Amino acid sequence: MRGVFSLYVPGDSVFHRLGSGWKYLIMFGATFTGLFAQNVWVSAGLLAAMLVLLACCRVSLGYAWHLPWGVWLTAALLVGYQILMGKPLTGVIIASNLVMAIYAARLLTMTTPGPALIDALTAALGWTRLIGLNPQRIGLAIALMVRSLPALLDSYGQVRDAARARGRERNYFAAVTPVVVRAVGYAQATGQALAARGLGEDRVEG
Amino acid sequence: MKNSPAVDLALVAVFAALLAVFAVVPGIPMPGSTVPITLQTLGVLLAGLVLGPWRGFLAVVLYLIVGFAGVPVFASGTGGLAVFTSMSIGYLVAFPVAALVAGWLAAFFVRRGFKGRYVWLTVAAAVGSFLIIDPAGIAGMMFVGQTDFLTAFAWNLPFVLGDAVKCFAAAAIAVAVNKAFPVLLAARRAAAI
Repeated sequence: MRGVFSLYVPGDSVFHRLGSGWKYLIMFGATFTGLFAQNVWVSAGLLAAMLVLLACCRVSLGYAWHLPWGVWLTAALLVGYQILMGKPLTGVIIASNLVMAIYAARLLTMTTPGPALIDALTAALGWTRLIGLNPQRIGLAIALMVRSLPALLDSYGQVRDAARARGRERNYFAAVTPVVVRAVGYAQATGQALAARGLGEDRVEG
Repeated sequence: MKNSPAVDLALVAVFAALLAVFAVVPGIPMPGSTVPITLQTLGVLLAGLVLGPWRGFLAVVLYLIVGFAGVPVFASGTGGLAVFTSMSIGYLVAFPVAALVAGWLAAFFVRRGFKGRYVWLTVAAAVGSFLIIDPAGIAGMMFVGQTDFLTAFAWNLPFVLGDAVKCFAAAAIAVAVNKAFPVLLAARRAAAI
């Protein structure tokens, strides 16, 4: 259900059908409201709201509400530290903001397929034309980045396996060099292929 | 070989993807420290040292934009704006600047033909890591964790040893990659996206 670079869970809940723009709005609104309000009731209310919204996604709650142990650890350390400082309420605000923002982001990523995220992002970058950038080039770069992820993950795995086969798996950094060299070679080949097709060569107009 | 705009664009995009891979693969255990070191800052420094300042900067910016938009490319498999409430936000926003500064210094040293390229690239990486990323990371922890400078400074300390190792590693890897692709770092033209 869950890949390395995807948290999407298919479904037909109201949030699966909602336009991604609205879900971005929820994520932005909730995260920055919690961050700048610095009020325990605001943060706790937003956290409760996110729990309810996630429960409306018709995904198993064990998945929708799941938090990695690192988040629990960070939250516990932050609360513990602020209690020691005599400001337990601040600790509660920070920890609930942390968890709330993760849930707000998850509401988006769990109910929106990766390509839809990328499309929404590319569409949202149209304003960059006003500051002299080329939105089509940015869109091409984003598409190329996402497309390169599996190849690079695979390359990293291959190089690690090769190092392990030679009993050199403890030399971590040596294993990184071939990954980077391959990535640069892959990029140059891709760039030349794009140029040969007349893509991405223009700096000003798309 | 002269770099075309399409090749510049592909380098930026592929390096952004490389940053995502480095962020999600398991960290390297450090002897004598409980904090494993991730390859992420290594990737940021490499973006500058390998691609040069502007392409390196743009690669890191692209990575951050895609991450903020919700693709789970940040460490621990998160994406979206949740990082703004996590302790790592200061580090993340400093990454593009660090790639820019480290890349600018590296290109400067290489173009001037300084002897001992490995040493100078290590210096460039260290400036990016300790003068850009660490102060911003500490400021981020002061803001998100609502704490004072000394506490945030102490929270950053466990990472310093690993960061130093990463600076040497970034320089060594960059020397190897620059040998394979000599024009990349010294090329004067900036990528225009």
